[in-house]
Amino acid sequence: MIVHVSLRLARRAFVNLWRAPLPSLVSVLTIGLSLFLGASFGLGLLTARALISSWGAQAAITLYLERGTTDDQARALAQDVQARVADASVVYVDRATALSRLRVDLGDLAGALDGLSQNPLPPSIEISPRTALAPADLRILSAQLAQLPGVHDVDYGREWLDKLEALGRASRSFGVGALAAVVAAALLVVANTIRLAVYARRDEIEIMKLVGATDGYVRAPFLLEGMLQGLIGAGLALTAVLSMQRWLLPRAEAAFAFAAGVLPPRIGPSQGALLLGIGAAVGLFGSWLAVGRFLRT
Amino acid sequence: MIQLFHVAKSYPGDAPVLDDITLRIEKGEFVWLTGPSGAGKSTLLKLLFCAETPTSGQILVGGRNIVRLAQGGIPYLRRNIGVVFQDFKLLANRTVLENVGYSLEVLGFSDAEIRERSRRRLEQVGLGHKASSLPQRLSGGEQQRVAIARALVNEPTILLADEPTGNLDPGLTDSILQLLFDANARGTTVVVATHDRSLLSRYHRRTIGLERGKVVVDA
Repeated sequence: MIVHVSLRLARRAFVNLWRAPLPSLVSVLTIGLSLFLGASFGLGLLTARALISSWGAQAAITLYLERGTTDDQARALAQDVQARVADASVVYVDRATALSRLRVDLGDLAGALDGLSQNPLPPSIEISPRTALAPADLRILSAQLAQLPGVHDVDYGREWLDKLEALGRASRSFGVGALAAVVAAALLVVANTIRLAVYARRDEIEIMKLVGATDGYVRAPFLLEGMLQGLIGAGLALTAVLSMQRWLLPRAEAAFAFAAGVLPPRIGPSQGALLLGIGAAVGLFGSWLAVGRFLRT
Repeated sequence: MIQLFHVAKSYPGDAPVLDDITLRIEKGEFVWLTGPSGAGKSTLLKLLFCAETPTSGQILVGGRNIVRLAQGGIPYLRRNIGVVFQDFKLLANRTVLENVGYSLEVLGFSDAEIRERSRRRLEQVGLGHKASSLPQRLSGGEQQRVAIARALVNEPTILLADEPTGNLDPGLTDSILQLLFDANARGTTVVVATHDRSLLSRYHRRTIGLERGKVVVDA
């Protein structure tokens, strides 16, 4: 009995979709568009975060040593640092090397350095992490290294890092808010579409209840209908996103060249399944809201 | 079968629709519920299939107090009660056969059983040849016969009819009433609300008269 009742309810949901193609189409397209926007936005957000992380990863720490530090002391300190930060390139830069780098950097203006009676640059140790370090970890490591004997000052681009962190936080909050707004809009449209469908079939519902249909029996075809609309809409959104990924992104990859190592956004099977799941859930919940309100009245 | 104890129904700001109704209808009885428009006939019927709830009093149907019935229990009560309305309440986009089988769908019968039982019931009301027609292609009398077939297809113990002949030509009234008498002869308790007093004089059955929400006649 359960099998043929379920089949009958599913059949009715399909027939209802078929009999009212326009409202169904509006609902499907709205869900599709909302999820497409949401997914594109989400992928954009993930890329932005990856980009921010990559910028963070490029951060290096420079330890400026006391002016009187000898080469031997500096090399010993560099070895000590290398032991503490194994996964990083640690390079000792003596005062003469620092000055010659500065000459190169200054180019035509390098002649200004000729007037100096002595080399004003301190020796330093440059530490470049090979894997990305979270800003907080970078901060902690810098504080630890600053405590080493012979270290005069530490530079790890604190201001830059703080700005990156703030940017990451803002993009996360904005992303969550925008996604919630998109999903809520889709939900409201589905609820209204189904409510119109429920209203159009109010006579049928009245008779169903009159002949002893339970609320669940009345509700089931509408829920299935909403879920189908959500699934079809999500399918459309997924197709659009995959098409964009297949045809549009390869042409836009040049735009990502400035962020070496950051791959352009990709949607995989799990994200695709998630999108379909969100579509089905939005359709189901929208219908639940619409029919629930009708059954209560 | 049906018992009402001091039942009242009123809406805020209006005079009571029903006022202290106490009555008993035995199993297998045929009862006319009569009175002028606004006497409370339809409201009384609605109370019996839980489309309305009484303001006070108790109602027993088949020994069960339906006033205390939880919302979830109402569908199961209705499966034992067939209801016929003056305006037929047929689904315009379904065939006559599908309309009759509608209550069997809700009860979970298989498609084959639904077709077989619905067809048999349609034959009983003389409309076997109209099974695949849409309701709007039928006359008023035929539509009411379809509605009666739908109300009786799952063999309910009680049949409630609210002005079943109200929209029909006098010539069709007798054939519709005959279907109700037939159902009653098969053991169904039948309550028919009507304001047409000529029916009462033509067909002598127990008559409960309502006026301004009170029982004024029970004979």
